Amino acid sequence: MDESRRTLLKATAALLLDQWAAVRLGALAADPSAGAGRKVVILTCGGIRREDTFAESGFHNIPHLYRDLLPQSTFYPFVRNAGVTSHYNTVSSVVSGNWQRLDDWGKTPPSSPTLFEYLRKRMGLRQDQTWLISSNKALTSRIGASTVREFGPAYGANVIFPKQLLINAVVHAAAEGRAVHSSDRSTVQPEIEAMLNSDNYDGLGWAVGGETSSLDLLTLGTMQKAIEDLVRTNAPATGDEFTFLVAAEVMRRFAPSLLTITLSDMEVAHFGSYSLHLAGVATVDRLVYELWAQLQSLPAYKDKTTLFVLPEFGRDLDGSTTNGFFNHRQNSESTRLTWMMCLGDAVRKAQIIENPIEQTDICPTIARLFELKNLDLPGKPMPGLWL
Amino acid sequence: MTKTIINDGRGDAQMDEARVAVAHKLIESLPVTMRPALNQQLSAWDSLFAFEQKSVTRFMSGLQTFAPSALEALTQPLRSLEGRMGVAHWNFSESKDTMENASMLARSEFYADWRGEVQRVFAAINAAAHDSTAEIPKPGRLILIVLPESLPVDPVNSWRPWDKRAQAFKINGDARRLSELCIHGRAERPGIMGQFAQQDGRQSADLWMIDAGAHLKEYLAPSEREVASILSYADLMPFRDKFLAGVNTVPKSIEATDQTLASLRQRDWETWWPAELSGQTRLRSFVIDLFLSGNGALIFSNAFVEWAASEALRRARPSVLIARFGFRAKPKPFTGIAIFENQQRISTLPDVDDPQGSATDALILARYIWLAALRYPENKQTCCLCVLEQQNAVYVVAPDGMTLPWGVDHPPTPEEISDWIGRHLST
Repeated sequence: MDESRRTLLKATAALLLDQWAAVRLGALAADPSAGAGRKVVILTCGGIRREDTFAESGFHNIPHLYRDLLPQSTFYPFVRNAGVTSHYNTVSSVVSGNWQRLDDWGKTPPSSPTLFEYLRKRMGLRQDQTWLISSNKALTSRIGASTVREFGPAYGANVIFPKQLLINAVVHAAAEGRAVHSSDRSTVQPEIEAMLNSDNYDGLGWAVGGETSSLDLLTLGTMQKAIEDLVRTNAPATGDEFTFLVAAEVMRRFAPSLLTITLSDMEVAHFGSYSLHLAGVATVDRLVYELWAQLQSLPAYKDKTTLFVLPEFGRDLDGSTTNGFFNHRQNSESTRLTWMMCLGDAVRKAQIIENPIEQTDICPTIARLFELKNLDLPGKPMPGLWL
Repeated sequence: MTKTIINDGRGDAQMDEARVAVAHKLIESLPVTMRPALNQQLSAWDSLFAFEQKSVTRFMSGLQTFAPSALEALTQPLRSLEGRMGVAHWNFSESKDTMENASMLARSEFYADWRGEVQRVFAAINAAAHDSTAEIPKPGRLILIVLPESLPVDPVNSWRPWDKRAQAFKINGDARRLSELCIHGRAERPGIMGQFAQQDGRQSADLWMIDAGAHLKEYLAPSEREVASILSYADLMPFRDKFLAGVNTVPKSIEATDQTLASLRQRDWETWWPAELSGQTRLRSFVIDLFLSGNGALIFSNAFVEWAASEALRRARPSVLIARFGFRAKPKPFTGIAIFENQQRISTLPDVDDPQGSATDALILARYIWLAALRYPENKQTCCLCVLEQQNAVYVVAPDGMTLPWGVDHPPTPEEISDWIGRHLST
């Protein structure tokens, strides 16, 4: 990615968080020394097949994961998604430790408590200590807290969708018949302003509490500059890049104890472009590597953080009636069987754990890392980690 | 005894009002979750292809052979499963397939069991009808896939094989001539169009030409075009743009999406259809179904070609299908983020071709067309040729028992290939 553009996006991400904190957190904002104990970052991405990643036919798509990170990780090559292989249900299942069977488009919250709620209630953490930052438009903010009465939104995570900000601004402009172009930026500006200032839209700053959001003029100006810059260049622009930059800024500002990031560039597969799908896989590979480097460089995270990296599921078999790699709804090993990589604090030694595990085992594992006891979870902690 | 649902002498299914009423009654005897698809087919009878009509009719004939007690015994496990899934408490449409139906079924913990049971019941009922509608042997079939010269496809030896029978041959001549030669043949050697002209009862659904651009139709005289089902992604652009704008109004709610999609289906699109589809109600309905079923058909030309070909094979079982792939542009800034949009409209930056990415996409999607064909029994008579114009080569999967008359030492000329196709189709 063009470095000047990235710098601009970074600044945008920072300002965005400034504004977010001012509106929601007031005097409590930004105490990166908070949460001195263990920290966990979960990074999930959409559907990626094993054959396109951790297989002879796929290693070239993931040079960082395979060459740089695998040798220092605990790697689980057989991780099963035994639930509904849709995005909202899968991420909900990972963070709640129970297979969720919810409306695919996030109409209802998880039906059992999430890790965010367990952590905040049991450990007395503030809301800025648990975050979910997502590229995926299939998710909604309801994923941050369950419907369980003793838990719920009062203990939920901050949930934000940075990519949606850009989509909304640009698509809205197009819907009004105005193409985005550097030469006629003034025609797009009202749409961007309206989008950034609108309350409760399905995007940036849509926290569980449902507070209203608005952006200050400085942030607004920076966003406009970022968008103008993105338009002017013809380099590939990716939503996952922006999501990552916002996540990095959240780590710097708040150093949350539990941060979940979901990436989705590879979901372009739904539109039938295998080459763009592989480009999305390459983006995940690069961003995971950068995330790991970031965790090593931030004092709040260095040597006390465990990073979990996993695809939500695979993709359907070539030749399936569901049109192969386009989709992820087939009841096949290609779709259900995926992998996971663990890096950092909890890793006993670099090793490959071939025993099959399920994605619902992640929640009890993380609960054990935070010394949360007596949780009613069906899964069991994963082998190979210091727990 | 209810009125019998029959095939007429030509094999075309008859479905007048009385028979529709009988069919609806029969469908009511089935478990709830089997009803939407069948009711939908009945209500859209005129938009079904002949193969689909025959399939429904055959199924109904099979259903009629079951005594109530036998049907109850056959379907009891499925009804029991529906009870455990709680279908009675769902907002489940029996009149048509909806996204809400699919979503509720897919997130049930019994979904896999349910699929298995539905397949078992369908198979049993179809088997009961089998004797009365024995298949008539069909002549040879052809799938001709063209990867045009502009696509820099990898060498064949680096491909994932399509089929264990597949072979690649260099062409002794100009591969770019092959499509036209196959379609028109040459003196004394009729091509596809000639063969179709000689045979009575051929329908346009028996010959499909699906094109990322608008090249294939140029091989046909205007008078010949009605003989085939011709779909051009390029020619569909005005309709696609308008339809995509409608699809992009879909809200983030499954129930509301079903309503929006239903309204899109009903809308009057007359102004936006290309001239080639004038009066072709069935083909227009096919395109709308295609666009509403996703799979990138509205977004990328090559996804359109693959998905249209796969659906044509599933729904119409044509004797000949020609699919020509093409280009897509590189995603522009922002459209790389919001790709389910009209790139030309969102950004006024000029399009930049992505030949390498397009070639990667086209190659896997070309293979998917053949894999789609393999799902149906007609594949046993089907020869698949993929023409690699840039490499001046052809990749061939021939039916079992058929020996190709070419070899490494004797690369075929385009004329030899088209003659051979002509012979195959007439066998």
